Amino acid sequence: MLGKLSWDAIPFHDPIPLITSLVVILAVLGIGIWVWRKGYWPALYHGYITSTDHKKIGIMYIVLALLMLVRGFADAIMMRLQQSLAIGASQGYLPPEHYNQIFSAHGTIMIFFVAMPFVIGFMNFVVPLQLGVRDVAFPTMNNVSFWLTASGALLINLSLFIGEFARTGWLAYPPLSELEFSPGVGVDYYLVALQISGVGTVLTAVNFVTTILKTRAPGMSYLRMPVFCWTSLAANLIILAAFPVLTVTLALLMLDRYMGFHFFTNDGGGNSMLYMNLIWVWGHPEVYILVLPAFGIYSEVAATFSGKPLFGYRSMVFATMVICIVSLMVWLHHFFTMGAGANINAIFGIASMIIGIPTGVKIYNWLFTMYGGRVRFTVPMYYLIGFMLTFVGGGLTGVLLAIPPVDFVVHNSLFLVAHFHHVIIGGVVFALMAGYTYWFPKAFGFTLDERLGKMIFWCWFIGFHLAFMPLYVLGLWGGTRRMQHISDPSWAPWLNVALLGAVIIGVGIVLTVVQLLYSIKTREQRLDVTGDPWDGRTLEWLTLSPPPHYNFAVLPDVHGEEAYWIRKQTAIKQDALIDEPDYQPIEMPIDTPTGVICAFFASLCGFAVIWHIWWLAILGLVGAFAVFVWYAWQDEHEHIIPVEEVRANARERRRIRMEHLHSLSQST
Amino acid sequence: MTEIDPEQNVAPGEPHSNILSETTAYVIGLALALGLTAVSFWVASTSSLWGPGVAVGLVVLAIAQMGVHLVFFLHITSGPDNTNNVLALAFGVLVVFLVMIGTIWIMGHMNDNMMPGPEITNLQMQH
Repeated sequence: MLGKLSWDAIPFHDPIPLITSLVVILAVLGIGIWVWRKGYWPALYHGYITSTDHKKIGIMYIVLALLMLVRGFADAIMMRLQQSLAIGASQGYLPPEHYNQIFSAHGTIMIFFVAMPFVIGFMNFVVPLQLGVRDVAFPTMNNVSFWLTASGALLINLSLFIGEFARTGWLAYPPLSELEFSPGVGVDYYLVALQISGVGTVLTAVNFVTTILKTRAPGMSYLRMPVFCWTSLAANLIILAAFPVLTVTLALLMLDRYMGFHFFTNDGGGNSMLYMNLIWVWGHPEVYILVLPAFGIYSEVAATFSGKPLFGYRSMVFATMVICIVSLMVWLHHFFTMGAGANINAIFGIASMIIGIPTGVKIYNWLFTMYGGRVRFTVPMYYLIGFMLTFVGGGLTGVLLAIPPVDFVVHNSLFLVAHFHHVIIGGVVFALMAGYTYWFPKAFGFTLDERLGKMIFWCWFIGFHLAFMPLYVLGLWGGTRRMQHISDPSWAPWLNVALLGAVIIGVGIVLTVVQLLYSIKTREQRLDVTGDPWDGRTLEWLTLSPPPHYNFAVLPDVHGEEAYWIRKQTAIKQDALIDEPDYQPIEMPIDTPTGVICAFFASLCGFAVIWHIWWLAILGLVGAFAVFVWYAWQDEHEHIIPVEEVRANARERRRIRMEHLHSLSQST
Repeated sequence: MTEIDPEQNVAPGEPHSNILSETTAYVIGLALALGLTAVSFWVASTSSLWGPGVAVGLVVLAIAQMGVHLVFFLHITSGPDNTNNVLALAFGVLVVFLVMIGTIWIMGHMNDNMMPGPEITNLQMQH
């Protein structure tokens, strides 16, 4: 009846997961009761959970990413603590089977449920606004994508309370992840959660490629799109190319584990090397799925806070599209040591180094954007400069690792661990924090506290270098990754410095929560009245903060690169806004619970597959399909916003803008 | 009699305004697809072709089959409003090519740096 599920699955004898589980359950219940007592439930349900508004969905993605960041960071600090304690005679506080689950969960969560939702959240929030349109191409599908991602995150976190997580590392290499060596449900949690969230990610990519290619404001030609839209297009194209490979690879491993197939087993003609090959066909492009939108965020920040157009816009677009293609041609550099010949290693090594060229072009473009500009040292600008200083170092160790003979020495070492954290924290996380600060006022109508923001930056910047520079040293000394116990006591000082760095990053994460609460409390002092708090250059700053559901009362007419900047300068010169247009009623998609119900059944089905509860799995599948059929038979998908409401809102915006314009012309 | 009905004067795969001509296009596509399938079965079982040529013939027929599907069922044309579809197709073909050829190449080279096989290392065999 319940498959493999029994009371043994609950970790009654392990104090760490048990106490964590109880705290999380109490926290979720507490928040639920608080929301219900305050009467926020209808607002939450209609405003967010069932919303088809791309801005609300973007905010939900980022909230999910921030929550998962806390979980992933908890794993990180536990690992650092274990490695600092378990030196020489001491065995530390984590037994090997628990430690192995923690490093697997840390990698899986940080990539799939922190970095991905954070990046996709920004795409959701920003891309339609920058393109000057009212929503994405398929608004309901967008909501479904989010909830499927959330369903994957739920299953991963459920493994803490019920059963166990994979002990195989974040990519679950066979033969270790095969049934013979991992008989528990850990690998199944990994496989099923990633399959469900992967569907959500592919749907997102379909949505955004369509949105960017097919729905743009009048006059917004390809070479007038902001760079963030270009990098989003490239990232979504890579998702469309790479994620199906991941789905197939994980499906093959599932066939091995569930139906006794022999794709990757040691016997029966299987070849586990094929798994390494296929998983990195997805895995390497994944890096660029994360870092390209990050480059887009830096480009927006550089232009805005230097008060200049982006230097080399066209070379930026070209470099982005070159990276988009070349990122699909370098995957072998993740397994140079697996036995391939010198020719093939050399070709993939050279291809990997070639990617450094368009990336270098981008670094110079940001530097020349700042050169001669009137740079304002705000928090996003701190992250941009911190990124350039950090990322170039990470890129250089990447070029080192791309040399096959060097890779033979340092592969699978702490040097590698230091390298990819160097580029992912220095490249992606810094961009995400910059974007969070940059677009927060657009989402909520007030800016975040600047002083705390700078403290958070310094925590990340100093904490990162203290945490990972020692690992480069240890890696060159022969330190292997994923060690539960350290036998050489002379490593202790380096590991303790790394622990100190992780603690400083932890302070930064705590300060992020403090900053949010403090900024909400004192928001009256930092209200963004005009909708353009940073003197922006792209179309998202044209509308009010937060924007109305329909973004723009009339779709903006675009007359060149930097659509909003041109419009603003014309208005300042003529001391007048453009003539009031003829407002029309606006048709917008209605809210729908399709996504959340669909994800509910998907979670049910996923849980059932993990525990071999077959009747429940069928029920979940049938339920998810029934929701789809029910939605397809709905007749009404849009509602009309009456012209009076549109006109009243638009006139209010024009009044605010006129006041702002007069205050500008008086000051000059 | 030289006047051409504009309804009939469309490239294969372009959208039709007339349901009849659209149906005709689908029927032509279906007939071609079935024909190519039948021919490939015939090629595989016949002895009238030179043996090693059979595989080449099947590859040619398979590519033709893909072409028929793209033009008649997926409506890929060379028309000006079809640029996105053609580019998407080219990108898809590139990715499939990279993944397939790359995988075959990599897996074929997998053992290049391994120890030589027993027939070389076994010194007793060398009299």
